[in-house]
Amino acid sequence: MRIRVEGLRKHYVSEGRTVAALDGVDLDIPANSIFTLLGPSGCGKTTLLRCIVGLETPDQGEIAIGDDVVFSSKRGIAVPTEKRGLGMVFQTYAIWPHMTVFDNVAYPLRVRRASKARIAQKVADALRFVQLEGVERRSATRLSGGQQQRVALARALVAEPKVILFDEPLSNLDAKLREETRKALERFLGELGITAVYVTHDRVEALALSDSIAVMRAGRIVEIGSPQRIYFDARTRFVADFIGRANLVPATVRAAEGNELVVDSALGPLRCARRDPVRLGEATLCIRPEFMHLRPGEGEPAPNRVRGRIESLAFVGEFYEAQMRVGDTLLLARTEPEVELRVGDAVHFALDPAHCLLLWQ
Amino acid sequence: MAVARRSTSSATLVLIVVVGLLTVAPVAMLAFGSFSAGLDRFGEFTLAKYVAAYSDPALLRVALDTAVFVLGSTLFSTLLALVLAYLNTRTDIPFKFLFNVLAIVPMMIPHLLFSVSWALLLNPSNGLINVALMQAFGLEQAPFDVYSMGGMILVEGLLNMPIAYLILAPAMASFDVSLEESSRVFGAGVWRTLVRVTLPVLRPAILAALVLGVVRTLASYAVPRVLGMPGRVEVLATWLYEMIATGFDPDYGQAAALGMSALAISVALIVVYRRLTAETERFVTVSGRGWRASTVALGRWRWPLFAAVALLSFVVVVLPVAVLLYTSFVPYAMVPSAEAFAQMSWRHWIEAFEDPISRLALRNSLFLAVVGATVGVALSLFIAYATVKSRSRGAGLLEALTFLSFSFPGIVIGIGFMWLFVQTPIYATLTALLIGYVATYLPYGVRPLASAFVQVHPHLEESSRVAGAGAATTMRRIVVPLLVPGVVSAWILMATMFLRELTLSVVLSRPGSEVLATQILAFADDGLWGKLSALGIVMIAISTGLVVLAATVGARLRPGGAAAG
Repeated sequence: MRIRVEGLRKHYVSEGRTVAALDGVDLDIPANSIFTLLGPSGCGKTTLLRCIVGLETPDQGEIAIGDDVVFSSKRGIAVPTEKRGLGMVFQTYAIWPHMTVFDNVAYPLRVRRASKARIAQKVADALRFVQLEGVERRSATRLSGGQQQRVALARALVAEPKVILFDEPLSNLDAKLREETRKALERFLGELGITAVYVTHDRVEALALSDSIAVMRAGRIVEIGSPQRIYFDARTRFVADFIGRANLVPATVRAAEGNELVVDSALGPLRCARRDPVRLGEATLCIRPEFMHLRPGEGEPAPNRVRGRIESLAFVGEFYEAQMRVGDTLLLARTEPEVELRVGDAVHFALDPAHCLLLWQ
Repeated sequence: MAVARRSTSSATLVLIVVVGLLTVAPVAMLAFGSFSAGLDRFGEFTLAKYVAAYSDPALLRVALDTAVFVLGSTLFSTLLALVLAYLNTRTDIPFKFLFNVLAIVPMMIPHLLFSVSWALLLNPSNGLINVALMQAFGLEQAPFDVYSMGGMILVEGLLNMPIAYLILAPAMASFDVSLEESSRVFGAGVWRTLVRVTLPVLRPAILAALVLGVVRTLASYAVPRVLGMPGRVEVLATWLYEMIATGFDPDYGQAAALGMSALAISVALIVVYRRLTAETERFVTVSGRGWRASTVALGRWRWPLFAAVALLSFVVVVLPVAVLLYTSFVPYAMVPSAEAFAQMSWRHWIEAFEDPISRLALRNSLFLAVVGATVGVALSLFIAYATVKSRSRGAGLLEALTFLSFSFPGIVIGIGFMWLFVQTPIYATLTALLIGYVATYLPYGVRPLASAFVQVHPHLEESSRVAGAGAATTMRRIVVPLLVPGVVSAWILMATMFLRELTLSVVLSRPGSEVLATQILAFADDGLWGKLSALGIVMIAISTGLVVLAATVGARLRPGGAAAG
């Protein structure tokens, strides 16, 4: 089901100061897609999610789920949470400690007064779906973190909600379990094919799980797009930096020539892929470490060839993390283990204009 | 939402008024009373009571004795608790369950009965231990006299040890061992580490135990009454009581004037205590990651130290109950022997319960325990909700008001209530006792309920809302079931406190509103030890029964253990 958010604003008072948690948010989440709200803590992503689910009341704006307007400050509509027909997985899982696994999952059906037979059937289906059979009679809080997470998911989907919301569901798991659970979640969501709104501050989760990502900052949405679009084609310095490791280098755009832009940068003159609308003058250059294929030696002078020296090297397993000094600029690069480099060595790399991202904001 | 928030804060306002009436009204009446000419001449301003109270030449002696008693027993209990907490949490002493017995069980024995049992054991004329020692060694004179400052300090110290232990043991258990380990790494030995690192880090907890001990001992009435008065050792609590005791020439004005100082000292100390515990928590919660117990090997001291702890457990837990039980069956004080056992009978039990006042007292105490605990828990529920959950503007004030009563010395606040109730028709009724009990013991209800509310993470309620349940269903199916264990333990705690209540009762109880503790005291005054013991055993049995019930019910109601979050 499609979710529409228009002009959403929410303020709260903290230590005498008014803080805008949501500062005019517009969103259109297409039906049957996995939509992620990504941003640093305090950016308003959880507030936005809680406004959609109805646990927070916005000061202003409108929210529609499918054809139903569930909140509108203008029309004085505020449908209570329990009437919105949603499912949610909380950061703490919010598993009720006084109930068994079965009772936890059955709860949404019981409050909807479903028949006993139907409850038994649907709970069994939901637990099978999350691969958690045979623990129905166990006390839910006696399960491991990963299992509790799946109970929470089963509970969220058992009543076939129109939308499932996830509030940082993986942040309480340790690193290994987090990756496993993320993969399981990817599969579950793929099979379910319903609208999911997912809040996280973890860029890897966002990239791996989502059909679309909205990156938020200070109560506003900065950029919306597919994971690839956000990663390779960010429009703003903030998003480029937040979504992955990035070398941000000050640059000046001199001219546009065909498909390329002529740029002066701290790394020397460069040609970069054209981005519209073109703005001449001050800009920032974003180069991702994985596109810098370091080679030993000075190399022959050529267009877009950047030369420097290795300042430091760190072995991190799959690759070396190198810091390369170019003039006053330090660049972070990854080098394949087979390229033998040492601190102090002269290195160079050729920058593909396509991987040379210009940012004006 | 906006509507809901407004209504919570007006509910908070109502609570502030109610709790304010319960806790501030007696204080205010005490203050007004201290400037009034007499109970029946309330509001007639005079300074005469202050002049009389503070110019009494005997006051200096009472103040000095109070200081010796309070500081002596507090130091004794804190030191003892410190040693016990260290042995339990940090060493390889065997049978550690004994420490839980030591920390919990003495609290089930009412102070009054504990004091009486020591009088039965160590009084100079026929104390069982004294007589036994005199017979064994052919002594002319009793070796011990419990009716003395030393006896009072010993008994009061043993009574307060569990409180100090419960403050110190968790602080020691959650102590970051790496702080000690680093001291060892840098070359300090075990002893030096203890003195230079462990104790200084534990300082807030130790100070908190000391301060709380002082407040409680200052308010203590049972020990000075039972052990001090026969030996003419007077402390503030008994001195105040004598001023208002019926039969002499009661002067509530003078008592109020003197009580103001005791109250001021107590309130100030409790403020200090709350600061210290906040600081303790800060010290304690910093670590926790990577915590692991490093135990000190006691070596050849292991078994001797264990024997000492076992002896202490016997002396504190078994002996008092045993001596009461024994005394209730033998015709008069006699050392256990074949002859004594042959003469055992139910006579004291039958006489104790043929006494109409005993029966009335038992009925009254049961009524106060059941109704008082119910009223107290109901009020505590609202207070805990307002302070923990709604966090509306008045919540801080409400919490402060609630815990204000924690610092009230029972006798003093009883005098305040007296000034209040005399102006109303509830004077000398059970209702007067009920109100006094609830007001004074409110923290005992609020504490467990507040922590129960903390357990209910907001997400647990919110997920119920998202699942489609309305506010009422969420309350019924999620919040209430999660709170039940807290409610049960708060109720039991209040009921047991009310069942044994002594200090307020001696001030507020009148013919017709006698309670178990005042009746036991009456038996003590008349030297009817057998009847006293029978009634005392009943009191202990009911208290213990309630505690056992709480443990069983609590275990049944808590299938899931800790809440999520």
